[in-house]
Amino acid sequence: MIKRIFIRDTNSSSADKARDFCNVLRNQLREKQMDEKVQLIRAADMGVYNQGIVMRILPDDLLYGQVEEKDIPRIVSETICGGKRLNDLMCHHAARQCRIVLRNCGVVDPESIEDYIAQDGYQALAKVLEQNDPEKVLAELKTSGLRGRGGAGYPTWLKWNLARNVKESQKYVICNGDEGDPGAYMDRSVLEGDPYSVIEGLTIAGFVTGASKGYFYIRAEYPLAIERIQKAIDQAYACGLLGENILGSTFRFDAEVRLGAGAFVCGEETALIASIEGKRGYPRPRPPYPSTQGLWGKPTVINNVETLANISPIILKSGKWFAGIGTETSKGTKVFAVTGKVKNSGLVEVPMGTSIREIVFDIGGGAGSGKKVKAVQTGGPSGGVIPEDFFNTPVGYENLQKIGSIMGSGGMIVMDESDCMVDIAKFYLRFCVDESCGKCAPCRIGGTQLLNLLEKISDGKGEEAHLAALRRISFAMQKASLCGLGQTAPNPVLSTLNYFEDEYRTHVLEKRCPARKCGRLFRYSIIQEKCKRCGLCVRNCPSDAISGNREKGYVIDEAKCSRCGLCLETCKPNAILRG
Amino acid sequence: MNRLKKEDLNRIKAECRGKKKDWIKVGYSTCGVAAGAQEVFATLCREVKEHHLDIEVKKCGCAGMCYAEPLVEVNVEGMPRVFYGKVTPETADKIIEKHVRGKMLMDDHIYDLKVHEAGAEAGLS
Ligand SMILES: Cc1cc2nc3c(=O)[nH]c(=O)nc-3n(C[C@H](O)[C@H](O)[C@H](O)COP(=O)(O)O)c2cc1C
Ligand code: SF4
Ligand code: FES
Repeated sequence: MIKRIFIRDTNSSSADKARDFCNVLRNQLREKQMDEKVQLIRAADMGVYNQGIVMRILPDDLLYGQVEEKDIPRIVSETICGGKRLNDLMCHHAARQCRIVLRNCGVVDPESIEDYIAQDGYQALAKVLEQNDPEKVLAELKTSGLRGRGGAGYPTWLKWNLARNVKESQKYVICNGDEGDPGAYMDRSVLEGDPYSVIEGLTIAGFVTGASKGYFYIRAEYPLAIERIQKAIDQAYACGLLGENILGSTFRFDAEVRLGAGAFVCGEETALIASIEGKRGYPRPRPPYPSTQGLWGKPTVINNVETLANISPIILKSGKWFAGIGTETSKGTKVFAVTGKVKNSGLVEVPMGTSIREIVFDIGGGAGSGKKVKAVQTGGPSGGVIPEDFFNTPVGYENLQKIGSIMGSGGMIVMDESDCMVDIAKFYLRFCVDESCGKCAPCRIGGTQLLNLLEKISDGKGEEAHLAALRRISFAMQKASLCGLGQTAPNPVLSTLNYFEDEYRTHVLEKRCPARKCGRLFRYSIIQEKCKRCGLCVRNCPSDAISGNREKGYVIDEAKCSRCGLCLETCKPNAILRG
Repeated sequence: MNRLKKEDLNRIKAECRGKKKDWIKVGYSTCGVAAGAQEVFATLCREVKEHHLDIEVKKCGCAGMCYAEPLVEVNVEGMPRVFYGKVTPETADKIIEKHVRGKMLMDDHIYDLKVHEAGAEAGLS
């Protein structure tokens, strides 16, 4: 059998050595007349980083790391010709992804119900209907330890049980696909890539709680997700997997799609319910919780997309199996959308308890820019930043809370040294101020006040007293806001302030932004000695802030400059100074 | 399709799994489409038709490697299953020419490979 060897230089800092390495290896193979039996392939990625030259040898499936040219002779004679494994060269994929939620994403055709069925689709529903014992499903879920993936982490079995125990003929189940956090798109990918698993999960939720009707509340900005879920619902009806007598049983369940109203707050469960009822998407105080009094006053279970995608595997493989993955209090896996200053942005599903370091460096490949990673932001506008010192923290609901952030729905934004913490806090806070529904004063007024203070600080008009004021207002908002939006909106401010107070102080006391992000605290100028008078910056400046000519040279008008930095990027002799 | 019963699920499953056929999957979620999956998909379909190849070209969801979209996974009998990333219509042409017809893997475009069967990782079978 032909051997295939994948080769990649996984050191990002130096010049790519893979090509030369391949040539040397190819020559040595030729000497042994092995070149016909081996194909060498330069890979574009191996899922291993900073391990020098890495080789993966098939069909043996050996992974060698830190390989040097001097190792080539023994690799050729012992491994390739002799089939022996060289233990000293072996290297491991440090963190392994574990796909439960994303099990079918990228595997099945989302528009084909047969594809889903071929991957054990609807076996869980069939099992549940055959056993016809909702208590048994609840017991399994309880053993599994599954908690909601929408943010709060409430035990799923408890939520279902509450709704189940209410004596009422009409109940509802809702899939929350509003996903409004900046940087989060896990739910979108699941809805788009594996819609049937979410439908199956919701159907089982309906059976267990006694609801005959389910809604998919999906944000209108996700047209493809809406299209795929709608197609999947239609197909499921056609196959008798929705509607009357599902799979030949007496169970009836209907499902339909409702579009999100374009507001972040509509992801909050009581606002979401109001929105489905056709009212304005305002939250209302809880209790009563939706489990007892929800949609149209009836008991209603609301679950996140990812929560529902976990249901079928638990039923098929048992709660015990699921509980075997993860940590003491956080079971199973979590999907993260890793974005920002990271080499490989994308979706990552890891067992709970995996460290942030493993996610960012081993899977994400570290910073894309070559700069030092400074922190990650998790939990979106309700979360906080986690500085690099805390990257060994294993992810889990309680663990992240302890260090001032939350797991949230799974957005993870990687930040490097060029990110300013005041700027980050401002970004998330502005999002919440824009999205505040205005119903309660602490959120409406407090948010605006906080934002004003942050703007002063980043404009160089900050005072030391402002830092105390930030903390005071944040505290009031956390305690007195009506819904989760206002209660958690100050979190990004507080956590950046806690971990990066120095950076705030530099802004306030020295009127300086160390990351050079806050536009009023630095300026662009031209180093006349380096300038070659090419005039490129003049043509590129969108604000017409650069004047002058080839003879006299050029100057930047600070008042007109919008701090976009285009001149810095375009100037070939690096004559633009940012400082 | 008719209304299904449990036996039908098992029958469909067995039928689909029984099909031993080569296939190409194109990541066709928002991230893939935004990166140009539509053109890549069209190119692959066109080439397969033109050369009368016995290989199925399918759409699928996002495999998670959004940085490498458009992502194309190729499964050809007797070869490892590989993911080609950042595929342009030109690379798509070459995938058909070199990988599918020539049975050779391509340099510089492979982002991941699967040695195990789907679902084995999570232990779902
Ligand atoms: C402002 C705000 C926005 C929210 N947005 C979402 C969202 O987009 N998706 C989601 O699943 N949950 C969101 N939630 C949480 C929901 O209120 C609810 O807790 C969740 O859908 C319950 O599902 P789970 O138990 O499966 O996690 C949001 C909460 C708040 C306060
Ligand atoms: S930073 Fe932008 S606006 Fe300012 S001078 Fe340079 S190009 Fe013009
Ligand atoms: S115009 Fe000054 S270096 Fe380009």
